[in-house]
Amino acid sequence: MISFTLNGKKVETDADPDTMLLIFLREELGLTGTKYGCGAAMCGACMIHMQGAPMFSCQITLARVAGMNIKTIEGLSENDDHPLQKAWIEEQVPQCGYCQSGQIMRAAALLDSNESPSEEEIRNWMSSNLCRCGTYNRIVKAVQRAASEMSS
Amino acid sequence: MIAPVNVSRRVFLKSGAAVAVALSAGGIRLEAYASENAQEVFAGWVEVKPDNSILILFPSTEMGQGSETALPQILADELDADWDQVSIQQLDEDDRRFGNPAFGKILYTAGSSAVYGYFDVLRQAGATLRDMIRTRAAAEWEVDTATVATGKNRVTHAPSGRSMTYGEVVALPDFTETALLTPATLKTHEQYTLIGKRVPRRDIPAKSTGKAQYAIDVRVPDMLYATVLRSPVEGESVASLNDEKARATRDVVDVVTLPDGVAVMAKTLHASFAGRAALDVRWTETSPFRKYSSTATLAAYTKAAEGKADGAAWSTHGDVKAGLARASRSFDAVYTSDYAYHAQIEPMAAVASVDADGKGAEIWVGTQTQSWTTRTATEVLGTTPDRIRLNMMTMGGGFGRRTELMQNYLRDALLCSKKANQPVKVVWSREDDLKFGAFRPAAAQYLKAGIDDNGVLTVLHHRVATPSVIEYFNPIRWQQVDPNDIISMRGAESKFYDIPDFLAEHIKTERHARILPWRGIGAAYTSFAAEAFLDEVATEAGVDPLDFRRSIMENNARGTALIDRVEEMAASVPLAEGRGRGFAFAGYGDTQAAGIVEISVNESAGTIRVHHVWIAVDAGQIVSPDNALNQIEGGVLWGVSSALFERVTITDGQVDQQNFFNYTILRNNQSPAIDVYVAENNEKPTQIGEAGNPLVPPAIANAFFALTGRRIRHQPLTPDRVREALA
Repeated sequence: MISFTLNGKKVETDADPDTMLLIFLREELGLTGTKYGCGAAMCGACMIHMQGAPMFSCQITLARVAGMNIKTIEGLSENDDHPLQKAWIEEQVPQCGYCQSGQIMRAAALLDSNESPSEEEIRNWMSSNLCRCGTYNRIVKAVQRAASEMSS
Repeated sequence: MIAPVNVSRRVFLKSGAAVAVALSAGGIRLEAYASENAQEVFAGWVEVKPDNSILILFPSTEMGQGSETALPQILADELDADWDQVSIQQLDEDDRRFGNPAFGKILYTAGSSAVYGYFDVLRQAGATLRDMIRTRAAAEWEVDTATVATGKNRVTHAPSGRSMTYGEVVALPDFTETALLTPATLKTHEQYTLIGKRVPRRDIPAKSTGKAQYAIDVRVPDMLYATVLRSPVEGESVASLNDEKARATRDVVDVVTLPDGVAVMAKTLHASFAGRAALDVRWTETSPFRKYSSTATLAAYTKAAEGKADGAAWSTHGDVKAGLARASRSFDAVYTSDYAYHAQIEPMAAVASVDADGKGAEIWVGTQTQSWTTRTATEVLGTTPDRIRLNMMTMGGGFGRRTELMQNYLRDALLCSKKANQPVKVVWSREDDLKFGAFRPAAAQYLKAGIDDNGVLTVLHHRVATPSVIEYFNPIRWQQVDPNDIISMRGAESKFYDIPDFLAEHIKTERHARILPWRGIGAAYTSFAAEAFLDEVATEAGVDPLDFRRSIMENNARGTALIDRVEEMAASVPLAEGRGRGFAFAGYGDTQAAGIVEISVNESAGTIRVHHVWIAVDAGQIVSPDNALNQIEGGVLWGVSSALFERVTITDGQVDQQNFFNYTILRNNQSPAIDVYVAENNEKPTQIGEAGNPLVPPAIANAFFALTGRRIRHQPLTPDRVREALA
């Protein structure tokens, strides 16, 4: 039995401990906001927070998650109103949208540690996450918008 | 003129007070519906309900291009609807009454065609219903229809101060008997309230909160998971199979042999992958594809391009032979481009739940075509379309990947579900998606041009040696269009220029890999070749590359205006030390675009960095301005990515790349600044989604020349090619 905290609630499971957290979240718990994109830590669609740090959930087995505090896009805000989510809508960032949960989770971790990142810091930090539609420049604008909202 | 249309039969649904309006693609002829009850079957383009809410049909598919908002926006504008009262319904079946006028009424979303294809139909539908509402209200009030105004779901009669909601009007007795105005009262451009305005996309909130549901996200009760081990080389099947270990894997339920692979069905996705890894399969190893490698393929295509054999004329006027004989100077060059992969971030996935009798199914798919997805299901099950319940899922990227006539991921889900008697979700891993991808074809192009004494281009011969994409991915369509392959050839027509003697021809080469439409289709490589080659000719002629284009665009005022504009935009930023700029003019379809890029080169690493892109686009009337910007920005980044990195290679029939670590696409910190100008006019709307990318690769190659004095004629401009060019 493995237990951990997910979006503030306790989860217990007897699933195969080798199961990747990403697959467990999506297929067992139905938390499909976290996406499968590459399974190789190359695209960031599966980005979640573990103990507050951004992680590729495609690389983390359930065994490793025991006792940890995990946050997914579904737990990022109470009413889908995290400043980043509002900024994503305001800047009309998504196109296909598939990568955007991961982008937002990645950006949230940045703003947790850096209140006013420079454009270069944002771009470098966000470069773990691929967007095939090409919304990178809007992502930068949205992160800047959220940062200024959070600091005001 | 106001005249009642002869409504010989009931043309509108009798469904309480709800009304649905249908229009044929050709005009305002109203079509009868089979159903008598709109509450049961959503059968029209638009429905106004007694509660004053409005439902608009979305006939295309959503893959990120924003049509799900843009198309209803067009209809709602002509209807004078209150956008806040409008909800949108995805068309979930192959109902050709709503087919794409740009694709012979097939339900097919590709070629950046949704807005221009449906623009007139949607306006007519909205205007016709608005006319009916005005006419019926006028009758109720016993006033002249011309004195009844509309706006935001409401009719008003100013002289008497009376007004009603649309919902109240459609609830009036015999609303569906209302005479039609013909022609319908279309708005003038000045009257638009939604078209051309900043209307937020409807799909964005769900895509910013993780709530949007893609095919890969679907879970239905009692669902099994299947992953498929496919034959590594096209055209092979299982010769022998040992599935003992796979079957012994925890939670594996069954192993199924498919036409070109082996599926492992399991209670969890984890178990399916684990079971698949335990399969022991020997393949037939008899496929002719085993002898193909991409280097040899491109060499063969190059030989064909340089050869003398005539191809199929794609576009021609004048006489290139005579033109070249007359020219004062002539030039030639060969351009090549490698295979490229779609790399949509959602890998292929489908869910199927086959009925107990095996002759029907409910399916959940991300697809660019209701028509061919339905057809895939009916072909696989040997059934009729009425037995297929299709759930159209929003797509995690399309880019041409989801357009096939026969969709194997869905086929496999159907075959597995039929065998298991349970719903099955088929999921492709990234490695599957790349290894079994279907690519932008490799191409070799031979170009020959002549100029006159003034350095003006007078003749251009453009030979494109590449396979026919349509022949492979849609043989039915090929029968209709053979030998004209728009997917393989688009862009080679160079139609924005006046070139007295011109020939673009398709040298149809042997297909050595799976191929599909890919963002920009042919223009992704034909514009690379044509626009980089014209830069060479301009240089040889001693003419500025922009003036060189201007001299062959004297009859193209919209095009030259874009050149002027983009020149002005770029001139506002001084050229930085150590950088070079390049220009290209290439649009997509009827959309024209001019672009300038600024690059630098790290000579030892062989890497090119794109710092800035300026682009000016004329796509006629823009329906959704902010989304148009987003699409163009995305297209530009696609162009940068494809120009610098993207390359699939094949050895002995197998794709060499596995994942994003060796198929590289652009990342955030490699993205240039992008300045976009979109022309504002009221001309017919044209393509947006693929307008941004075709000009970028040639502009980068031209900037590379401006900076280094060397040409690279092979796309992508990889570090080895950069270093070779600089050596």
